[in-house]
Amino acid sequence: MSETATSEATARPLPSWATADVPDINEDALKALETYKKRDPSKVVVRFKAVGNAPIMKQNFYKITASNRFQAVIQFLRKELGWKAGDPLFTYINLAFSPAPDDTVSNLFKSFCTDGHLIVNYSTTAAWG
Amino acid sequence: MSNYGTTRHHPAAPSAPKDRLTDYHTTLFRRLSWEGTVPLEIRVDPNELPANSDRGLECYFMQAPRVSYLPLLMPEIRRFLMDVVFDEAAAKVLKEEDWWFECDDGTLLKWHWPIGLIYDNHSILSTVRPGTALSGTMATPLRLILHLASPPTDKLLLSPSAEACKQAFMGQLKEADFIRWGNTKRITGLRKVDQDGLWEGIKEHNFDDYWRVASKVTPATAPNRPQSPGPPPSSVSMHGRPPSADAAGPSERDGAYNVRSVPVRLYLPDGPVIQDLVPPILDDGKSPFICDVSTDSSSGTPHTLSHLLSTHVPLLFPPRPPAPPPSRTNPHPHALSVPELAYPLIQGVLTPPESEMAWLGACLAGADGWLNICIGISRK
Repeated sequence: MSETATSEATARPLPSWATADVPDINEDALKALETYKKRDPSKVVVRFKAVGNAPIMKQNFYKITASNRFQAVIQFLRKELGWKAGDPLFTYINLAFSPAPDDTVSNLFKSFCTDGHLIVNYSTTAAWG
Repeated sequence: MSNYGTTRHHPAAPSAPKDRLTDYHTTLFRRLSWEGTVPLEIRVDPNELPANSDRGLECYFMQAPRVSYLPLLMPEIRRFLMDVVFDEAAAKVLKEEDWWFECDDGTLLKWHWPIGLIYDNHSILSTVRPGTALSGTMATPLRLILHLASPPTDKLLLSPSAEACKQAFMGQLKEADFIRWGNTKRITGLRKVDQDGLWEGIKEHNFDDYWRVASKVTPATAPNRPQSPGPPPSSVSMHGRPPSADAAGPSERDGAYNVRSVPVRLYLPDGPVIQDLVPPILDDGKSPFICDVSTDSSSGTPHTLSHLLSTHVPLLFPPRPPAPPPSRTNPHPHALSVPELAYPLIQGVLTPPESEMAWLGACLAGADGWLNICIGISRK
């Protein structure tokens, strides 16, 4: 069977016997998923600390919604620092590693908080890359 | 499998690092994870195909290693498209940095997720979508659409380059190290050539190259397990300490059951991702090693997958009701069976609930050190 034939076959809609009108998924499971999908409205304290030549922030404690992604923290920091797009900024947790931008503040806080704060270090050059 | 014998009796094993003998089963499961591949079907968005492309061949099929990353597959995909599909003139104006992937269900594919995680995360998503084929989902290719222009950079988060992917990978490796030990000394202590060697091992899909370095930073499943027999009583008097103490020293301190926490992430269909501290031993005061005096350091039971799931996603994995007390008519009662709502997949494999988190972390983690558990929803 050629590759083209396969792709055409899979592009067609499934036959009626394969699509259930009422999905046979357990309602309890779907409800559970909805519960876990709800965003955590609580806030955590993020503390920004400059590293090397990076400018120091006047205020460095911020309450940030826990369900935010780390990417939002990076964007917030860039805005506070007045950084333009393309200006280099490197961010770290606990002077140790750069988290994935899609990790949530909540997850990072649970694993790495120090004295009730999530410490985010920022630098204009790669420091612990 | 007496791997905790000392090396001095086995001078013919020069390749083993001096303080770390990886046992047969650990290596076996690491190799099985490493060799795991997933089928991908890659199709260029038909609306974006350049003029004069060969439309009959715009689809490419491949088996991709679970431990690899999309940016590392790009050279092979590009070669196919350039050689077979695109017209030469059209190929010249295409900019690879504008390329990006989407699943056929519209989910964007992140450049920095391991391929195996992308695949499993998609397969659990299909468990909550009506109409998706149930049996054989594991063998179905993940259908990807390749776009050639206008990448949604704000959602993809990272640039598509292999270098950006490598940096993200190193970040994950260090985060995992920090979770295990509270610092990243093991990774930062590696020479640059070794750090690069980890990534090269993934790039070349070479198990030996990767594990030559990774074994220095990944905890071994310590020999000091309940199954380990104690030293024979007669040997104790010879040199004042049992021979097994030599091997147990350094490797045990770095062992999977001695980490502060196992790097674990739980993925639910269509989100969220749950990460928390997962100690390898539960501080429940119970010692499972009743007859083994050599394991006095353990003051709890090993943290199991079933415990993790029933504490972090209890609505999907409700704690099982206890078995009724034994009676004359039913001397060995079983707990009432409850319908299963969900199931855990690790490296695409349905994982037994009694699996211990420390062992899973040492044997079935991805190349970035993280144990990814994808939760699928059971059908009635």
